[in-house]
Amino acid sequence: MSPAHTEGGLRQTRPGSASADNPSELAPLSSTLADNPPESTELGFYVHVPFCAKRCGYCSFNTAPLEDGTMARYLEALHREIDLLGGIAWSSRVRLSTIFFGGGTPSLLAAEELGAVLARIRARFDVAADAEVTVECNPESVTRDKLAGYRAAGVNRLSLGVQSLDDSILPRLGRLHDARGARVAFEAARAAGCDNLSVDLMYGLPGLDPDGWTRAVEAVLDWEPDHLSAYGLTLDAGSLWGAAGVEGLPTEDTQIDQYWRLARAAAARGLEHYEISNYARPGRRSRHNQIYWRAAEYLAAGPGACGFVGRLRYANVKATPRYCETLAGGELPIASSEHLSKGQRLAERLILGLRTADGIPAALLETRLGGDARLRDLVERWRARALLVDVDDRVRLSEAGFLLSDALFVELL
Amino acid sequence: MVLSRIRNFSIVAHIDHGKSTLADRLLSLTGTMDAKKAVDQVLDSMDLERERGITIKAHTVRLLYRARDGQEYTLNLIDTPGHVDFSYEVSRALAACEGALLIVDAAQGIEAQTLANFYLASDANLAIIPVVNKIDLPAADVEGTRNQITETLDLDGTEALAISAKHGTGVPEVLEAIVARVPPPQGDPDAPLKALVFDSYYDSYQGVVVYVRLTDGRVRPGTRVLLMSNGRSYDVQQVGVFSPDMRPVEELSAGQVGYLTASIKRVADAKVGETITETARPTAAPFPGYRDAKPMVFAGLYSIEDTDYEALRDALEKLRLNDPAFTYEPETSLALGYGFRCGFLGMLHMEIVQERLEREFDLSLIVTAPSVQYKVLTTAGEVLDIDNPSKLPPPDRIEQMDEPYVKSSVFVPTEFMTAIYKLAQEKRGEHRSLEYHGKRVHIRFDFPLAEIVVDFYDRLKSISKGYASFDYELSDFRPSDLVKLDILLNGDPVDALSVIVHRDKAYEKGKALVEKLRGVIPRQLFEVAIQAAIGSRVIARETVKAMGKNVTAKCYGGDITRKRKLLERQKEGKKRMKQVGKVEVPQEAFLSVLKS
Ligand SMILES: Nc1nc2c(ncn2[C@@H]2O[C@H](COP(=O)(O)OP(=O)(O)OP(=O)(O)O)[C@@H](O)[C@H]2O)c(=O)[nH]1
Ligand code: SF4
Ligand SMILES: [Mg+2]
Repeated sequence: MSPAHTEGGLRQTRPGSASADNPSELAPLSSTLADNPPESTELGFYVHVPFCAKRCGYCSFNTAPLEDGTMARYLEALHREIDLLGGIAWSSRVRLSTIFFGGGTPSLLAAEELGAVLARIRARFDVAADAEVTVECNPESVTRDKLAGYRAAGVNRLSLGVQSLDDSILPRLGRLHDARGARVAFEAARAAGCDNLSVDLMYGLPGLDPDGWTRAVEAVLDWEPDHLSAYGLTLDAGSLWGAAGVEGLPTEDTQIDQYWRLARAAAARGLEHYEISNYARPGRRSRHNQIYWRAAEYLAAGPGACGFVGRLRYANVKATPRYCETLAGGELPIASSEHLSKGQRLAERLILGLRTADGIPAALLETRLGGDARLRDLVERWRARALLVDVDDRVRLSEAGFLLSDALFVELL
Repeated sequence: MVLSRIRNFSIVAHIDHGKSTLADRLLSLTGTMDAKKAVDQVLDSMDLERERGITIKAHTVRLLYRARDGQEYTLNLIDTPGHVDFSYEVSRALAACEGALLIVDAAQGIEAQTLANFYLASDANLAIIPVVNKIDLPAADVEGTRNQITETLDLDGTEALAISAKHGTGVPEVLEAIVARVPPPQGDPDAPLKALVFDSYYDSYQGVVVYVRLTDGRVRPGTRVLLMSNGRSYDVQQVGVFSPDMRPVEELSAGQVGYLTASIKRVADAKVGETITETARPTAAPFPGYRDAKPMVFAGLYSIEDTDYEALRDALEKLRLNDPAFTYEPETSLALGYGFRCGFLGMLHMEIVQERLEREFDLSLIVTAPSVQYKVLTTAGEVLDIDNPSKLPPPDRIEQMDEPYVKSSVFVPTEFMTAIYKLAQEKRGEHRSLEYHGKRVHIRFDFPLAEIVVDFYDRLKSISKGYASFDYELSDFRPSDLVKLDILLNGDPVDALSVIVHRDKAYEKGKALVEKLRGVIPRQLFEVAIQAAIGSRVIARETVKAMGKNVTAKCYGGDITRKRKLLERQKEGKKRMKQVGKVEVPQEAFLSVLKS
């Protein structure tokens, strides 16, 4: 283990200066990964594409408008990062079971560009034959041809950022597509042969009334997607709306109503509510996201991307120019990392696992409760209200429990 | 040292009129403090004083000044606090002086504590030098202020010095005036030692550091001294002066101000007002003594973590070493467990003690609603001092209840008079007198102490656009029609939230209270009913709706750390909650009780 890291907590951050004036200072961070072999031989791999045509009002992700030349520079750096990751001694002993292109807007990548990245990953890593390879797409940036190209490059799952089917709401969100465009994109994906297709929706949006929401949900369910993610709007600190506020937000009761309308509609169509915000047809859960919720391990590449190997959570530098510079200097662009203590590891397994319908082993919860009478009492109250339910030797939150989950998670830390 | 070249003086004024700033100037003009090195208000050395920009404790410093007559004088300066909670500090300081600089802000004019401090100084027979400060301000009205001094105080306003403590204008004249107008101390250095203790604090290395003013005799290391009120003797270890840090000297003699240490273990053994003399040759006439500063408001202090009870007791004990003005004794609450009932001089004092406990001792505290001390005559004929509402006997066992009253002064521009009278009426004030001073009036009211301890001052300031000032002192106890108002959470009374109120205000108070609590009690898994009741009669009710939704939709791109940190921060906030029955009640709920 590198001496620069502290057990269970203190997060080391790369000094703020933009250029690596003092490369020796950075060395401990980039050697961190090498010193921390994963526990499992199966890893996920997340690739962050930090560009969007335009920033949405609610969005706080690490993304920026695409300028001339930046994509090429980013891709060059990304290839280098994949090389460096692949060059770590233990890399040859692991197999990638999922690859996920998130963003930003990964569908801004041309099929050839995406194909080249995938090829590079395959060149450096053992990628499982049945690996799930997902790309997040925005409707306005995809065509049947592009998606066919993705598929040819090995992409077997697409996630389409529809968000809303209301043409008066979509522009207010800052989205560049309309309802028709969303439908066209969905059809294009199917036509391109995609048989594992997810749609993203949002509720709790300004101007969205319960009936409007029901219409959107039913319309999307009529398309028969394999998977549906539906996120309640949150006003994140780093977003435009978080900073400036936004008019017309529905009341809490309306948001709760929207949650239940969705849950009922999805159930009626045979979709399983397998995570707080996610629904899937049997066998079509997102394998990559399940890695997160199981507190399992994954590598990450791209600006601001976060990975988890061994007991180490790490994050890359966020700013794309610095990300590129650091890689040009032959260094992994890790900005901060943290060794999880036993307690933190346990807490994460609880709060991530309880996001899902599979829940967690009852024994794991028991370990956390130990002799803490107050917490035990509190958990009993969650059980008494059927917010927490026992299923064989596992414990899970009910759909009502999902809605209140943070109130329990904060106690389980 | 020749007595004729010593001057002992205090700087007194209404809060913020510039005492500490003037002290800075005097320090730098006399070379006591390097002007370049000096921070503002150097004498305000406690962290809390610096942060809040106010003086809490009196500070003593010795200046050496070569006057225009060519002689070098020793000037002992005591800077005092302006806030009403600490006015006892002013009285102590004045007892060690022959003169006082009475500072008046040229833009504000005479205010309530100007008058109160003027009376303290003139009762102590001190030479008073009026000083009009802040003449640099655009709003300064020097002539008007001089007129006020002449009219309101029994002083000649034309003799007032006009200065800007901030810029130093006129400050050299202040030094000359001290020499010319403050009489030198009198006393006999060869008579038996007679020294007044006017302040003290505990230092873990030297024991109690005792601030003394010598009237007669001498004291030096090795002198065996007698503390006259408790009859104990000690060998003096060190004597010295403040310049401004402690500096040992060979000897202190009649007329001088300084400190001594003598391995005294507890501040209580060298109380303010104590007479120190020689064991071998005691003085015949000790000082009359000084009454202890009496706490006016009482509140329960509980640590949020039950396990911190011992730590809290240790902390209270340590803090009291240097702050004998606050008192504590153990108490228990059904809602909060084991804690302490503490007495404070006022709300500022209470805040300061709480802040010091949390900061210096790393404790997380719950402070219950402050209460004054009532006198209760029971049907059995006993008289009880009740400072905790939950200790009040049931109504059928109470014959009579008396509550403490204060005499108060309000200074305010005439245009706000109506508003002030309205507020006074709301607070059960009884009008005593009214005097016009130019554009301002001086109104005297009697108030029940309970009505003014908490938010009265803030209200007064806000209705007068900041122009009103207020001073009070405890006067007497008067019979009153009082009831206990209980608060119930989901049907269970919470003893720590009970308050004693006047019957006529009970309904209004109960309503305000439950509304306030609805705002501070966070939503829980279940609905929380908040009720206010007198006996078994519920007079107001509010509900906190059950929590509807509390969920993070997404962990973006596997950034688990961010999510965990967010929850960890929330958890930190939750630590400040206390579980009362099944309901989680935040720290501030308990204090919010009187502020409604
Ligand atoms: N413009 C101006 N401001 C001044 C002058 N003297 C003091 N002040 C300001 O008035 C404020 C209060 O000054 P202090 O010296 O702390 O007042 P104080 O009387 O010691 O206050 P307490 O100890 O809290 O009663 C500070 O912001 C000073 O900078 C002056 O001559 N002119
Ligand atoms: S929400 Fe998606 S498309 Fe919109 S700015 Fe954020 S990353 Fe880009
Ligand atoms: Mg001061």
